[in-house]
Amino acid sequence: MCWLADWINNKRVFIMKNKKGFEIQFNWIFVLVAGALILLFFITIVVKQRNLSETSTKSTIFASVGAIIAGAGVSTGTTTIIDLPGSNIEVDCGRVSIGEIAKQYQNLILFAPKSIQGKKLITQTVEFNTPYKSTNLLFMTSTQMRYILIGDSDLAIEINNSLPSDLNKEFYKNIPVTISDENNYKVKFVFFRNIDNSILNKFAKMQDDDVTAVRVTGDIKKGELEFYKKNSLIWKSNGISPYFTKSALLGAIYSDSNDLYQCNMANVFSRLNIISNVYLKRTTALKNDVTRIRNECKSIYTNALNHLQSINSASSVLNEPNVEVIASASQSLSDENKKAQLASCPLIY
Amino acid sequence: MRTKKLNWRLAPLFTKMKNKSQIQIGETIAVLFVFFILVGISFIFYAKVIKSNLETDREELSQMRSIGIAQGVMFLPELQCSEDNVIRENCIDLLKLQSAKEVMSSNIIHYYDLLDFTEINITQIYPEKTKWELYSRRIQDYNNRYLTNVPVSLYDPIAKTYSFGILSIETFDR
Repeated sequence: MCWLADWINNKRVFIMKNKKGFEIQFNWIFVLVAGALILLFFITIVVKQRNLSETSTKSTIFASVGAIIAGAGVSTGTTTIIDLPGSNIEVDCGRVSIGEIAKQYQNLILFAPKSIQGKKLITQTVEFNTPYKSTNLLFMTSTQMRYILIGDSDLAIEINNSLPSDLNKEFYKNIPVTISDENNYKVKFVFFRNIDNSILNKFAKMQDDDVTAVRVTGDIKKGELEFYKKNSLIWKSNGISPYFTKSALLGAIYSDSNDLYQCNMANVFSRLNIISNVYLKRTTALKNDVTRIRNECKSIYTNALNHLQSINSASSVLNEPNVEVIASASQSLSDENKKAQLASCPLIY
Repeated sequence: MRTKKLNWRLAPLFTKMKNKSQIQIGETIAVLFVFFILVGISFIFYAKVIKSNLETDREELSQMRSIGIAQGVMFLPELQCSEDNVIRENCIDLLKLQSAKEVMSSNIIHYYDLLDFTEINITQIYPEKTKWELYSRRIQDYNNRYLTNVPVSLYDPIAKTYSFGILSIETFDR
């Protein structure tokens, strides 16, 4: 180590052999330290400002999404395309988040894939009628997500026509042979026939979570849904759920997992339960009006009350027997409403 | 000239400095000191502008929230007049109103998520004056209060008559 000390001493003597040398050396060190400090200061500001700007953009997008969710209760039967700065909106059960900005909702009804990426957002709102309107269903997705509908039934044609034309969708009557991976961030298959594993060969390079499917068995009023996820080169079942009405079926197409679909349907059923209560009380009030309501109308209301009670009880949990009860009571209630109309009685709904 | 002026102002600081280099370093420190003071002042100004913008944004968001809630209330299926699912806008069914009042009070959490801190009243002003308090969840220490009044028709489905009323939606913001 002695050689190192000697070398440093020699160097120092060489550089600082006079006062002038020392001044120059010290000035340079001083300028370097001060310069580094100033540079560090401005770098810190730039980094903070960039983070602030990113958060600000995210909160602007978040506010837009919040406005869409709030507006969903107002407008029905509408499809909107919204331009957004490239972002990743994450949707979970009762939760919407963009980066670290998130909002928790108690009764959110938003059918969407778990992740919505891209610069164009498609939203669609439809009414949920059983047979009276209980809520609006909001569907949200990206134009960069690919939907492939396969089937030749009337239901398949009807669902294809009900999906917005701006959606990145394809409709095939049979399993397509010429289909290929188009580098979409997510692909959703909708089978109105038996599920087919061979189609997955074309999407082998995609992540398992990004390729999902739903198999629909039933008609436009009610039926069964089986959700699938890609597992290497075969489909893996993700759960079975019932559906009721075309709106709920559309919801299942937009949701990429059984959990998300069930969570939304639980909130739809909770809303249905509350609205059924309102109609139960309203119909009871109509029936109990002794002075202004005719006996002919009262018998209609008595029947209607039974159906409303059935819908109210069955809307507690989403399961196949309850869906059957609601579907049957809904049809009967619709018939009673027609009878009320024919008899010039105040309508039930 | 500039150095001379600076030297004159900062002269007391440099009186004890013996040689030229010390004075030069002192000058540099003084320049840096002034520079950072200017940067500091600019930052205080910038922060104040940002704070004022944030306040404006916050108020705008509160107003948007208030309008959203008001719109939501106007389109609640619990209140809207409908005939065989055909909705009549700006119309409240009086029978539904009575029922909704009871249902809302027994489902507080559900409606809190929809309506937040709001007070909703419906007042019939013609032919008779009657008031219905539909939902009330006030906060005492609110910062902002927004009141939206919407003229509505009040429909009695049994008598098939309409009366005129005002739907008042008052939102509170902390």
